[in-house]
Parts: sequence; C-alpha cells; structure tokens
Amino acid sequence: MRGEGSTEVGGLRRGAQPAYAGPIFTHLRCAGGRENAAPSFDLKRSVEQLLQHCLNALILGGTYALLGIGLTLIFGIMRVVNFTHGELYSFGAYAMYMWVMVSGVNFFVALPLAILLGVLLGAAIEFLLLRRLRGADIDTTMLVMIGAWIALQNIEQLSWSGVAKSIDSPFPASPLVLGPVSVSWNRLFVFVVALALIAATYALINRTKLGKAMRATFQDRETAALMGVQINSIYTATFALGSGLAAAAGALLGPVFVVYPTMGDLASLKAFAIVILGGLGSIPGATIGGFILAFMEELGAGYVSSGYRDAMGFLLIIIILLVKPTGLFAQKERIG
Amino acid sequence: MLKVEGLVCRYGKVAAVRELSIDVRAGELVTLIGANGAGKTTTLKAISGVLPAASGRITFQGEDITRASARRILQLGIAHCPEGRRVFPYMTVRENLEMGCYLRSDADQVAADMRRLFERFPILYERRDQAAGTLSGGEQQMLAISRALMSSPKLVLFDEPSLGLAPNLVERTFEIIKEIRSQGVTVVMVEQNAFAALELSDRSYVLEQGRVTLTGTGAELLDNPHVKSAYLGA
Repeated sequence: MRGEGSTEVGGLRRGAQPAYAGPIFTHLRCAGGRENAAPSFDLKRSVEQLLQHCLNALILGGTYALLGIGLTLIFGIMRVVNFTHGELYSFGAYAMYMWVMVSGVNFFVALPLAILLGVLLGAAIEFLLLRRLRGADIDTTMLVMIGAWIALQNIEQLSWSGVAKSIDSPFPASPLVLGPVSVSWNRLFVFVVALALIAATYALINRTKLGKAMRATFQDRETAALMGVQINSIYTATFALGSGLAAAAGALLGPVFVVYPTMGDLASLKAFAIVILGGLGSIPGATIGGFILAFMEELGAGYVSSGYRDAMGFLLIIIILLVKPTGLFAQKERIG
Repeated sequence: MLKVEGLVCRYGKVAAVRELSIDVRAGELVTLIGANGAGKTTTLKAISGVLPAASGRITFQGEDITRASARRILQLGIAHCPEGRRVFPYMTVRENLEMGCYLRSDADQVAADMRRLFERFPILYERRDQAAGTLSGGEQQMLAISRALMSSPKLVLFDEPSLGLAPNLVERTFEIIKEIRSQGVTVVMVEQNAFAALELSDRSYVLEQGRVTLTGTGAELLDNPHVKSAYLGA
C-alpha cells in the first residue's frame, strides 16, 4: 500500500511536468567525453574510463550519503516515513537560488544560510505537523507527510514558477585534470563540503550530549524519558537536523544542475533506496549505502545503459529486499 | 515522603490500577508484591511520570507530582530502574551511566559518583567501553542499578530487579539494594519473588487487581495465612 501510493503520486506528478520529468542526476557524469570513443578495445583507455567512473561515483556518493543520513536519522529516531525529504532537498536548492541570484549574496555565505533555512523549515514541519501526530498510527502520519510533500512542492512552483533556474557558481569552468581523469571544481567542492557535513553529523551523534540523547531515544524511548530526556525536543532536533542535511544536499547540487520544483521527487526516492540498502535507522549504513548506490548508478550507466541509470537504485532495492530485507547494516532488534 | 492516594491508571478502557493508595516514609524499603497484572509496574510508571494517572494524587516531599513530567520528577529526586533492565544496548557502559546523570550539571560530583560506582562494581569499569547489550544479564542489572543511582536520587523505584537472573545473582542484587537503602536512599521495590521481598522490606503492600488488599511489615505478612497460601506456596 505504501509503495503503490508513492509511485502513483510520483507518476502523476511526472506526467504533469513532462519538461522536467527526466532524471535529475543524469548530468552528473562529468568529463564524460572519453567514454564515447574506443571503437576497438584499448586497455589503457578502459582503465582510464573505469577510473573516471569511479571518481564520478565517489563524488556523487557524498551527496547521496547526506540525503540518506538525514532520512535514516528521522526514520530511526522518530519512526516517521518522511516524504518531505525530497522537498527539503529542493528547498535547499531554491534557498540557494534566492540568496545568490535574487539577493546577490556571496555564494559561500549563501550556502550556510540555505542550510540554516532548511533546518528551520524542518523544525517548523516537526512542530506544526508531527507534534500533533504523536501516537497516531503510521498510516496517518504517512498521509500527512505525503500531503506536506505535495503542498511544499506546489508552494515552490507558485513562488518560483515551473521554469528551471540555474545558479551561478564562482568556480572556474575548466575542470581539474588529474592525469587521466578530470573533475569539475564545483563538484569537488560539493564532495568536500558533503564529507565535512557527514563528519560533523557523526561527531554530533557520537560526541555531544544531544547526540547521546538522540541515540538513547532511538534505542529505548521510554527509558530515555526516565533519564530526563525531553522526547519532544529530541524529535524536533532530529527532524531539523535531517532536514538540514537534505537541504544541504540540494544547496550543494543546485548550482551543479538546474533548480526546478519537482527536482526533489527523484532525490526522495533515491534517499529511500539508500536507507533501505543500508538498513533502516543505521547511519553508517546510509553513508555506505549512498556510496554503493552512486557506484551502481555510475557503473551501470557507463557499462550497461545510461538510460537505466536511475533504475539502478530500484534494482538494488529489489535485490536487497530479496536477499537481506533488514538492509546491510541494520542493528539487531532490541533485546529485553 | 511519597504518598499515593486513590491512584487510577488505565490502558485504554481497562483500568490497571484502581484507587490505589500507598505511603512511603523517608529511609524505608517498601515492596509491592502481587501476581502478574496486579498493577505493580503500572503504579511505578505513574509515580515516575512515564504513564499519566487517570485520577488520584501523588505527592513527593509535599509537592504534587501527579501531572509532572518524568524529567521534573527525576529532578525532584525519584529515579526509576525499569523492569527488564532496559540498558541502552548500543551505547557503552560509560555512556549508559552518563545518560543516568543526563540532568545533572555538577560535573565534579558526577565524576566522583562515577568513580565510586566503578569501585563498587569493578566489572563495569572493566567493560566501560563495551556496548551494554553485550553484557551478561547480571552485569546489565548492575548497570541498570548504577545508572539509576547516577542521578543521585532520594528515592529509587526498582521494578522486578531479580527478573531473569540466576539465583546467586538474585541474592547479590538484593544485597546491593539493601546497601543502597543503608546509605539513606528510600527504596520502593516491585518484586514477584514474594518471600525474598518480604524478608528484605520494612513494609510491604500486597496488590490484587489494581488495589492494595493487605499491608504490614515484612514479618507480619510472612505470617499472614492469605499471603502464605497465595504468594508463598505454603
């Protein structure tokens, strides 16, 4: 029932927006010129091509991991299937557009501002919607989140129109060439910032008092409450953090691609694929899952067919659900 | 010190506790005994604020805590060591203890308390960086008790501390609880092992179907014919 609902909504919206229905990440194969050549087999060229694919996958994986960690945190701690995750991603991209292209703020100042707005929007969603749904069953919560997803997407369309926007980036247009492979400066920046944010999230979860309270809530909510943890505040913090990570992914990739209202749909689906792959609620799982999905897409597009790039994630979900339904890194069920 | 008057708790339409009243004086070790479903755990949960009371009144040191949050109640000095130990399985022993003093801000005193607990339970010190879920049942119980003590409580609620432990560990657990009481901490304990509970306690309440049906000192109840036949199997 869950699957039917989401694909149908996705399908409907894709139908309504044919101009932007295409996969959002297809443009990401940077410096792809090399792979078109090679009429006859050439070992050196094949190795170079593989290296290029791997580099592309690594860079893509950073943002996938960001998306996945945000979603898995929210699911793990709050048990909320967050359909607005993709909207936070597009919100981050639009926030970036607004600061850089409309307000003329410096790119590097706009980025943290966009992430901050994502955090605030996440906190607002939690406070206004989810807090009223405590104790409601999962179906009700899912319906409300699907509603919020549609509402947010349409607000974006209303505010910014359906025309795709591009964001100027301050990076040089010519790529960084490292021997046989090359990568654009902007993508390198995206990768570095994504890794920094992942590291910061790990530090927050493992080293701070808030992180400890979040983990305790995840493992045993009632006992965490007995320790004096205010579960409501932990939920708001979790949703805000997860949303901030999604917005960060959008703010980082907005300048790489173009920004349009339905860009979050595919991002959302990919985030779900990553989370299922890594195991629901597992942060290391989501991190590694993000990179696995990126490698699968990149290699699948490079060696099988680029038209099936976005299908790779779903192929992966099917395989995982058949072979190891709990995901690769899910923690065992609580005992006692 | 702790006074529960006319407490009623419901799960949906079913009342688990009906008009229950108990009274605990400072420094006492009071036990609640009774069969499964008598309302013992529910009573403890209502006292510590994780379960709302439908009606009745709970006061602690004169302050009404019937509607207070679990956090507030812990701040006032009531710690709850829940049934089944409930340690955080993927957190280390040390992190579990840190969760126990989540609300405390007196870092020096916390460090001293932790040192004292580690001295008292060397096995926990040995396993301080190990995930709590990998500990044995007895070790987890020690951790759960230590975690409750880390809040430096005035009163501790113990829910079935002997559950699922080997007999020698049950003995050990009761020794620890006696020791806690001897240090001036008031103890309210729910226990299915009625004989041990009655031997240990100053006073005891017998709960049946959500009500107190009998009360008295441990020795009195051990001699009571109804208690003998219903709970002691004599």
